[in-house]
Amino acid sequence: MSDEDREVDGKPDQPTPLRGPDEGVPPHPEGKRPSVAADITALATGLKTTLGEFFSPAVTLEYPEDKSPRSERYRGRHYLRRYENGLERCIGCELCAAACPVGCILVIAAENTDENRVSPGERYAKTYEINMLRCIFCGYCEDACPVQAIVLGPEYELSDTSREKFIYTKEKLLEPLPPDVQARLDSKGPK
Amino acid sequence: MAEKKILTKDFGAPGLAHLAGYEQTGGYQAYQKALKELQPDALVEMVKKSGLRGRGGAGFGTGQKWSFLPKGVYPRYLVINADESEPGCFKDRYLLEASPHQVVEGLLIAAFAIGCNLAFIYIRGEYLPQHEALEWALAEARQAGYIGKNVLGSGFDVDVILHRGAGAYICGEETALLTSLEGYRGEPRLKPPFPAIKGLYGKPTVVNNVETVATLPHIVSNGPDWFATIGTETGKGTRLWCMSGHVNRPGNYEMEMGAPIRELIYDLGGGVWKNRKLKAFQPGGASMMVLLPQHLDVGLDFDAIQKAGSLAGAGAMVVMDETTCMVDMCRRYVEFFHHESCGKCTPCREGTFWMTNVLTRIEEGEGKAGDADLLLEMGNNIDGRSFCPLGDASTWFPRSCIKYFRDEFEQHVTEHACPFRKERVMVA
Amino acid sequence: MAVATDQVTLQVDGVSVTVPKGTLILDAAKKLGIDIPIFCSHPKMEPVAVCRMCLIEVEKMPKLQPACAIPVAEGMVVRTLTDKVKQYQQGVLEFLLINHPLDCPICDKGGECPLQDQTFQYGPGASRYDFQKAHFDKAVPLSDKIVLDRERCILCWRCTRFTEEISGERELALIKRGVHTIIGTFNDEPAQSVYQGNWTEICPVGALTSRQYRFISRPWDLDRTPSVCPGCAMGCNIQIDSRHNKIGRFQSRENLEVDDGWLCDQGRYSFPYFQRDQEFGSPSIRRDGQLAAVSYPEAVAEAAARLQRAGSSAAGWASPGATNEELFLFQRLFRETLKSPHLDHRQQGIHETDPEDIGLPIADIERCDHVVVLGGQEVIDAAPVLHLRLHKSQRHGVAVHRVDEVKAGLAAVPAEATVVGVLATAARRADAITLQNQLVSKVKGSVRRLIVVRGPNGRGAKDLGILPHLGPGYAVLNGRAGRPRAEWPKAGIRALYIYDASPLQEFGATEAELDWLRSLDTVIVQRFKPSVLDEYAHVVLPGRAFPEKDGTMTSMEGRVQRIATGIDAAHVWDDWRILQAVANAMGAGWPYRTSESIFADLAKAVPAYAAAAPAQGRVLWGER
Repeated sequence: MSDEDREVDGKPDQPTPLRGPDEGVPPHPEGKRPSVAADITALATGLKTTLGEFFSPAVTLEYPEDKSPRSERYRGRHYLRRYENGLERCIGCELCAAACPVGCILVIAAENTDENRVSPGERYAKTYEINMLRCIFCGYCEDACPVQAIVLGPEYELSDTSREKFIYTKEKLLEPLPPDVQARLDSKGPK
Repeated sequence: MAEKKILTKDFGAPGLAHLAGYEQTGGYQAYQKALKELQPDALVEMVKKSGLRGRGGAGFGTGQKWSFLPKGVYPRYLVINADESEPGCFKDRYLLEASPHQVVEGLLIAAFAIGCNLAFIYIRGEYLPQHEALEWALAEARQAGYIGKNVLGSGFDVDVILHRGAGAYICGEETALLTSLEGYRGEPRLKPPFPAIKGLYGKPTVVNNVETVATLPHIVSNGPDWFATIGTETGKGTRLWCMSGHVNRPGNYEMEMGAPIRELIYDLGGGVWKNRKLKAFQPGGASMMVLLPQHLDVGLDFDAIQKAGSLAGAGAMVVMDETTCMVDMCRRYVEFFHHESCGKCTPCREGTFWMTNVLTRIEEGEGKAGDADLLLEMGNNIDGRSFCPLGDASTWFPRSCIKYFRDEFEQHVTEHACPFRKERVMVA
Repeated sequence: MAVATDQVTLQVDGVSVTVPKGTLILDAAKKLGIDIPIFCSHPKMEPVAVCRMCLIEVEKMPKLQPACAIPVAEGMVVRTLTDKVKQYQQGVLEFLLINHPLDCPICDKGGECPLQDQTFQYGPGASRYDFQKAHFDKAVPLSDKIVLDRERCILCWRCTRFTEEISGERELALIKRGVHTIIGTFNDEPAQSVYQGNWTEICPVGALTSRQYRFISRPWDLDRTPSVCPGCAMGCNIQIDSRHNKIGRFQSRENLEVDDGWLCDQGRYSFPYFQRDQEFGSPSIRRDGQLAAVSYPEAVAEAAARLQRAGSSAAGWASPGATNEELFLFQRLFRETLKSPHLDHRQQGIHETDPEDIGLPIADIERCDHVVVLGGQEVIDAAPVLHLRLHKSQRHGVAVHRVDEVKAGLAAVPAEATVVGVLATAARRADAITLQNQLVSKVKGSVRRLIVVRGPNGRGAKDLGILPHLGPGYAVLNGRAGRPRAEWPKAGIRALYIYDASPLQEFGATEAELDWLRSLDTVIVQRFKPSVLDEYAHVVLPGRAFPEKDGTMTSMEGRVQRIATGIDAAHVWDDWRILQAVANAMGAGWPYRTSESIFADLAKAVPAYAAAAPAQGRVLWGER
């Protein structure tokens, strides 16, 4: 029946009823008659699993209070590492950005000067941004890095409240300065 | 057996370094004969007939070289290569010092033969006394009228310019010599075009060795047939051999081509010093392959030495006794080539640098297994691939050493030390 | 068979190829699509065969032969793929890399580096070199434009040969020898050549890089747009390399007929002038002595109203840096809409012009036997790349005479000369014509001239009649001629429309003109960057820079070349759109939607341009 026919009839389709109005409840099949004891036994059998699990030690973790362990090679949030002397490892070569299959990394390089030395050598990353919403945590950036500057860490709780906050800037990605370097810088600062 | 002296026969005559003394021994007679009796073409034919081969190293037929000059293209230049810098080689120095006029006379004959009115002598920068001797000789020859306009009324104009090099081994290579002579960095030029077609200042040029031209007066005086009777089938005349190293009497010896090496080392040189045994020798200077005592009976001649697996080169016989460390010899030689590499082509510039590093490592006892093979492979990538023979030649000695003394290389590596260090004596 | 003798047939990798005598093996192989790796060889320089990368096997020759230096011979059998060749290629790359720092990650050449590419294709994969590398100075400032990294240098001699063979300046040289050889200038003094940018382009490694482009981008991040250099009238073809909608650099886009593959530094490094590194203001109208920001339609309406009031006493000046399409509309705005003949693109001088000024195409300089450069360095300064063409011609036997006086030029050319060229700047055009006429009567051959005009589209401005006395296509305006710019202050002009299209070819007002501007009722300024003229303007209409628009430019030899949009500036109106809006506000009713549609009308007005419409043709006025 096509749509056109239906319109001509003006009657909506009715489902065919499973049981006619004059048909009664089918008779109970022949055999044992139902008993209360059997019902309770069945109930206990069912509850045995439930109660058994209830009193056995729990396997779930109470996240976020408790956290499951991460493998050492877990690929979570990225970090930009530093050398022991506090200089950034990143040389701004953009190979991570080139390797990234989703194009979530932006690097803009600049030249080190004697007055402003950010990394060893000639080049450093002036801008380093990762769009965490796009990142698929494949770790190719880590593979591509010639100086082991970018690494994927164990941190995975990256939820946030706005899209803008998912653009991780260099300041956010960089490891903190080593304590001795920080102390040295602090002592040099204005009193 | 003794030497056969042609070039050096009058050496020791009083005042030979000066015109009067030289003329007393019959000097400049050949030049006058050539100017008066012979045509340039006849001279070229004469030299061709004599079978004279270049004494600079490659051993190319001198007359043949001259005949490569394109007909009718003037000016053409003659350049005498006196940039003798091959380690172990000091024959030109001897010739220039003892009898500079002989060289000048030969030069003038060659210039007349090829129709060149301006000849150059490029002398090694370090050869100061020789430079002075030549300067004197040229001044005397000029005064005597052997150099100048219309020489001895023959209508032949010739002038000679004496140029001192600045101390680069590479300038002994003929095209690098020409580049240096023009005032540029001493670097070899692309061949072809060969200097005979496009040489000095883009003009046809012949580059001859000092010893080659010094032989010419004798060929002109005595005739090509006389010259052709001396020596072997393919190597005519005599050669000066500069013997150095572990022999009792090192020095220059003039010998007939084809005389056995044994005669040179044992009869003339008095054998290996300190009653030690002969370990190896090099017949052609630093770049040439090493030969063993078993080759002592090989004749001193271009082809015979080549057949034995080395090259006669510039005629520098370096003798090594049994205490010589071949690895150290290689290191020292390759270091020399590394230092003298002009840097023009990649294989020579980088290859000699790397080979020096590897050889130093082996000699210092820090060698690795497989270093000898690495050297061979590197040598293979340099030899025949570099721009000029300097690169090629830097690999010949080490490769022949690995061929004959591989266990010595292995011993350095396995023992982590040079087995000769204790009793080693510096090679001259 | 005369033809057969200068052709040679040889075999490369089993395939026969016939090439002219004297062709190098490398080029014969290239003709077959067989790539032989090279570093030192360069098609515009003499072979030197120093890098030894191109060694191949030639039958009957015992040694491997450099394909870049050996000319072909009849019956030669060349093999480029044998094991011997491949093993050697690995060897030479291993040699080249032992002292190369391999700092590709921070190298500006990384990604477009022949050494990188060829190592990848022909190299050994791993090095057996396990010693300290030889160290040299890094990041040496060779000049304020060029940074030299001596470690990366593989000593291919391309840059030294460029300064020797191409520019003739001999500024770079090899210093020291062997593995210690370095490239440098005399006494380490800063390089002064104006062709330094080319060194960075021919360098097969990252040894010579541009300071301006330093660490700006990786090559794979660049957007590449074909364009034409905005520097001078030469019309050199460039490629605008941009990243994130910012110009990173200009590269040469070889056009053998024009630039021969080279650029001068004035053009190459001019891009900061065209960089939209900030917003350059919105359209504005002067209200109560202050410029107030308004929308485009408002500003256009104001401009149109003011122009209409001035009518035929309005004058218009357009920069020779604008495109043909814009100039054509500018010309129509004045001649058709406002009925004003006061148009100009020139500055103070009143240089005449005629189609004979392009009688000598740039590439034909090589085919002359005598070339007189009237004014010498003055001409070179006006179009620096011309020097490279002159030097090349000189190397190939053309006599180039750099003279200051007509008399000297006449004396320099002998009577038996057959093809003579005269080059001069627009300022000395009259002298050039005098010289040309005198030469015509002296020499037996032909004499042609080429006038170096100002601005990348100075020729187009003349062709399209941005002149008071000549209409489009040099149409003579009988009795309807206007006054040149120099006479405007005394010509009763009431309104002035300045189309200041390019920061390199500005209006350049004199003090007297500025005073005059202040006295005018109306000054309309259409410009890319804020300039001194904004102070005098009643209406400011911000337009686009040349990388942001498309259209055509006509070089000094009359070659019409297309420029394409490389930088997106959608929020700024296209300049032709502004001009059309101004005209339409006065009822012109122009229907143009693209610059191509303007060109179609332009070609109707100037028929010589019709031939140039589809491709990058050349308008040969002299051949009509």
